[in-house]
Amino acid sequence: MRHRLLIAWAVLCALTLGYLWLDHSADGHGGLRASTVVTTAAIVIALVKVRIIFREFMEVRHAPVLLCRLTDASIAIMAVSLLGSYFAGVALG
Amino acid sequence: MTGTETRREQRHRFVPGQPDMWAFVLFETLLFTSYFAVYLFNRARNEELYLQSQAHLELWVGVLNTIVLLTSSWSIARCVQAARAGGYRAALGNAFLTAGLGAVFLVCKVVEWVRQFRMGNTLTTNDFFMHYFFLTGLHCLHLLIGFVVLGMIVYQLRSPARRSQTLVETCATYWHTVDFLWVLIFAMLYVVR
Repeated sequence: MRHRLLIAWAVLCALTLGYLWLDHSADGHGGLRASTVVTTAAIVIALVKVRIIFREFMEVRHAPVLLCRLTDASIAIMAVSLLGSYFAGVALG
Repeated sequence: MTGTETRREQRHRFVPGQPDMWAFVLFETLLFTSYFAVYLFNRARNEELYLQSQAHLELWVGVLNTIVLLTSSWSIARCVQAARAGGYRAALGNAFLTAGLGAVFLVCKVVEWVRQFRMGNTLTTNDFFMHYFFLTGLHCLHLLIGFVVLGMIVYQLRSPARRSQTLVETCATYWHTVDFLWVLIFAMLYVVR
């Protein structure tokens, strides 16, 4: 059980450090550049991290099915809202 | 899995903490999602301004802040497990570690704000910094409430007469909310392009 928490923490930290690689690969040696790939990846990685926090740290995986579904639904709503509003902004920009 | 095993598993499932706190968590999630949606929409329509302003932030500082807060979430999860197993000294130790990491996060954030003020970036500089100061300020308000919540955990754990596992779990759920909200804020302000 303790190892499971430690593994979850390590995965969360690795995903966070992955942002440094994402940032480096997007910009190289130049200034910041707009990137749909980076934005989409950043949002998806953040949502994966939120789900891990829900499931492992907040113990939702031991919770009744209703709470599991509600938390998953909230993540799905976040994904649709965030990606949807970003792409709508790009399309209308 | 047989029907009997499924029913047995269902009986062992539990809601961590008080259900009211979960209603608050889901409400906060939707509230912040609405804000992020407006932010991303405006950002996508004015990419240059946001990118130029974002260049004033240090990504590695955001990464460090995130790892500090993730570690605090890990320690409060260990606090809950220790309290459940009757290891109240270990639970108290983890609660103090969580508070210490929360304080480190707060100091980092204040240093970052001072650095931005010195560069002439304030709430009224432009849209990006309005979102930056509003989101980080609102999050810090949640963090300060989190310190009160951690105080409640310590108060609960210190006396055998007061110990309530439900309250410890409820308070820990709040602290995890502060953590995952930062995970989202960090991605929105420091990483998206």
